[in-house]
Amino acid sequence: MKTRTIIIALMLTVFAGSAAFGQSKLGHISGDFGFNGMYYIPDSIIGAKEVKEKVRANTWLNLNYTNGGFTAGVRYEFYSFPLIDFEDIGYKGQGLTNYFLDYRNDFIQVTAGTFYEQFGNGFTLRAYEDRQLGIDNSLLGARIRVTPYKGITLKGVWGIERKNFDFEYTKRHDYVRGLDGEISFGDMIKKIGDAGVSFSIGGSFVSKYEKSENDMYINYIDFFSEMPVSAILPADKIPENIATWAARLNFGYKGFRLDGEFAHKINDPNNTNNYIYKNGNAFLLTASYSMKGFGVEASFIRSDNMDFRSQRNISASTPLLGINYIPAVNRQYTYALLGNYTYASQPNGQIGVQAQVNYKIPKNTKVGGKYGIDITVNYARFHDVEQVLVSDAVAHQTVKGTEGYTSRFFKFGDNLLYQDVGIDFSHRFNNKKWKLDLAYNFITYNLTILQGHPSPMFKGHNVMGKVSYKINNKHALKLEIDHLYAKEDDGSWLYGLLEYSIAPNWFISVADQWNYGNDDKAHRTHYYNIAAAYVIKTTRIALNFGKTKEGILCIGGVCRSVPASYGVGLSVTTSF
Amino acid sequence: MKRILLLAVCLLAFSPIFAQENNHPRIPSVDVKTIDGETFSTKQMYTGEHPFIISLWATWCVPCREELEAISMVYDDWVEEFGVTLFAVSIDDSRSASKVAPFVRSKGWEYVVLQDVNSDLKRALNVVDVPFLCICNKYGEIVWSHTSYAPGGEEEIYEVLKSLKD
Repeated sequence: MKTRTIIIALMLTVFAGSAAFGQSKLGHISGDFGFNGMYYIPDSIIGAKEVKEKVRANTWLNLNYTNGGFTAGVRYEFYSFPLIDFEDIGYKGQGLTNYFLDYRNDFIQVTAGTFYEQFGNGFTLRAYEDRQLGIDNSLLGARIRVTPYKGITLKGVWGIERKNFDFEYTKRHDYVRGLDGEISFGDMIKKIGDAGVSFSIGGSFVSKYEKSENDMYINYIDFFSEMPVSAILPADKIPENIATWAARLNFGYKGFRLDGEFAHKINDPNNTNNYIYKNGNAFLLTASYSMKGFGVEASFIRSDNMDFRSQRNISASTPLLGINYIPAVNRQYTYALLGNYTYASQPNGQIGVQAQVNYKIPKNTKVGGKYGIDITVNYARFHDVEQVLVSDAVAHQTVKGTEGYTSRFFKFGDNLLYQDVGIDFSHRFNNKKWKLDLAYNFITYNLTILQGHPSPMFKGHNVMGKVSYKINNKHALKLEIDHLYAKEDDGSWLYGLLEYSIAPNWFISVADQWNYGNDDKAHRTHYYNIAAAYVIKTTRIALNFGKTKEGILCIGGVCRSVPASYGVGLSVTTSF
Repeated sequence: MKRILLLAVCLLAFSPIFAQENNHPRIPSVDVKTIDGETFSTKQMYTGEHPFIISLWATWCVPCREELEAISMVYDDWVEEFGVTLFAVSIDDSRSASKVAPFVRSKGWEYVVLQDVNSDLKRALNVVDVPFLCICNKYGEIVWSHTSYAPGGEEEIYEVLKSLKD
């Protein structure tokens, strides 16, 4: 691609020039490097398969050059023999994946090349990356951000979305364009800001174009028979332009906040929605109040038919080519065993509520002791949306090509997807050396819908206790015990972690996740892990040996499956 | 003419020394938000009078919370001794962004809490993982940075702040 060559040539000139002058007033070079490698050992009991290339690694290098308001950057990714979970999702290849030129001052910012962007909560557009998950939805094109007046921000984007290591952008027939505007009255009008009020409104419009020349041969799981079906969708019936828009509002006054966003998507028959023509929508409303020592937050979310991709034939099982982002708003647990049952956001159908209360029993009180006690209580419940099939769908015994279904906006669907309720305490003792964390959670998780294998509803009780002991100024010890009691799926689990750290450089840990309650005695496996890490400034070198359970890995409500693995891992990351 | 040339050569030869004064990268200019929803530019962090600290963290990151908790116990002393301000920049995305304000206020932290919902600042600072903490001098130049946290790590931060004062 011509523009790519020009951009790279320009940047190389800039890099070479700046290197010649060293680190002078001519600007700075910064970047980061990462290497995550593993040696795989097969293990038939946990299901770790024999792999052809036993040694595999994900490697990347980012280089940025900055001078005043000007930035140029490149990223090289080497994933030719990636870690097996990346290979499974097709994140395999190598090359210059990112390259950009960016200029900004107080009035304007212009970017050419690869960029990341988000409008509002991301309902219409979120170009982002998550390197651990293997998601990179960056756009290649151009972006402009303008601040014509204090408090007003306008953005415009045009780009082709990254599709793993497919660099043949000239052969692509799909692109994304969008506009976003926001007015913050607190920033703009001094009187409002001075009164302690923050108030802003915003709106965005995003349109995807994807050429439709030929009739489309589609494969999908039929809604009625639940069997794979092949069918033809005539070219003239496929919309080439799909528009979405969203409006949002944020209001804040003295610790009180109200945030809301509503988004609408026009007919977008695609693989994830069984090729129906129904419009989609999403709504999120959050209210919170906080003061010193106390905070409460509650939200309502609904999303229906909002999976929005650059290409209509991409399956819902991969996060590939997602244009927007519908968050899962429940609490993110940091305890090991609940990680296996993390709620994954359902853009095509979810409705739910969640609330969380944070309270601190004050310091220097009888109950709170010298440092107080932090208490968190949380609750969340999500259902699918109501689906009443339209008469067309019933008549033709297929939803494909019809309006699909109708759904009342505030009606919770019949299927519970996920529920959790929990409480936790955190307390540091008077001598500062000891700290205790305790937590209890009860979760209900719909394995059939969320993980796609028909099973009874999973119900788990989780108790977690963690003791931290600071031996002296530098040495510290941490012990964590986590117990998940359940009858469904793999049954009960016990987890233990012992970590020894020497600040600021050394970490050594031993952990074991034991599936002692598995009905199948042969599968009462110990997933042990021994790890050591050395950190100096921003460089981290870590070595580990152990087993990883087959399951799902979720970050920010976005999940993907992870195969079982066993072996030795080495990770080196640095930023400079 | 010769003198001027000689001077020029000398200047060039010594230029690395002059350049060293300006050897640290400046904090990148990125817009984030306050927990009240107002826009906040990283340029507003430096006033030319005092050093400051930026900590990138998230509500779901345990070591990040431990680090901020540990610093909160000595923060008053640091403010008094160095005039330092800590900017606790949360990288929670729209999933948990609304949980940040209730969380930090209930903790009673005195930091300036900011939100970087699409990781723009994280990316501009080339941060791989959180917690990430950097110390900037009064000119807004990054003089020290560190990733991860082990209990007691705050002592090293104190030493760096002390060296900046001397």
